[in-house]
Amino acid sequence: MPKHHISLHNDIEEIPLLAEFVDQVCADGGVDASMVMSLNLAIEEAVTNVMVYAYPEGTTGMVDVEAETDGGMLTFVISDGGKAFDPTRQERADITLGVEERPIGGLGIFLVREIMDEVAYERSDNRNVLTLRKTLKSE
Amino acid sequence: MIFNIAENNDGMLVNVAGRLDTPAAVKAQKEIEPLLQNADKEIVLDCQELEYISSSGLRLFLTLRKETSTRGGKVIIKNINEEIKKVFMMTGFFNLFEIR
Repeated sequence: MPKHHISLHNDIEEIPLLAEFVDQVCADGGVDASMVMSLNLAIEEAVTNVMVYAYPEGTTGMVDVEAETDGGMLTFVISDGGKAFDPTRQERADITLGVEERPIGGLGIFLVREIMDEVAYERSDNRNVLTLRKTLKSE
Repeated sequence: MIFNIAENNDGMLVNVAGRLDTPAAVKAQKEIEPLLQNADKEIVLDCQELEYISSSGLRLFLTLRKETSTRGGKVIIKNINEEIKKVFMMTGFFNLFEIR
């Protein structure tokens, strides 16, 4: 599978474009149907985080998403030129809390970690680079 | 429109349909206002036509659940598909809601 790439603005209204992109990547990569929704969820969370936090309010910035399959491993790389922001260091949600104690936020990165097999962040050339990997089931 | 609301004798019956991604969830914050106002009643969310839910969507459900908890109402979730059920289990939401 060749590399797929999409560039989005930091505008959540472009999320449906991201969904189309992820669906296309999954179709080209022969990803099992049962995995497609979870992947959409993880990638949407990661990209939404960038859209909301990376750039100063009121400014336009880009989020780049690359994807490829290599040897049974699906890799997404989400990068942006915004301020240094490591989403892997956000507070983990406690999913055992009851209704009253459960905070409204904190689910995004939790879902990314649950769904993806590898989550890695680095700051490189003044860019945030988030690499998400998922092992695809072998045929 | 994701949340299609009807009132009946028991409370509120809601048909939740489509893709509850982040932009849809932002718009739906307004849609669920009648539900929050009626959080003392029984609110049934029929999710037969719900195709997808993001964490933003889950947050909306949680907001509703918290409000009914405070006001003495109830949220019942019906007919979620297998994929969404997986997400509910992953996030602990399965234990927070009455799911049928």
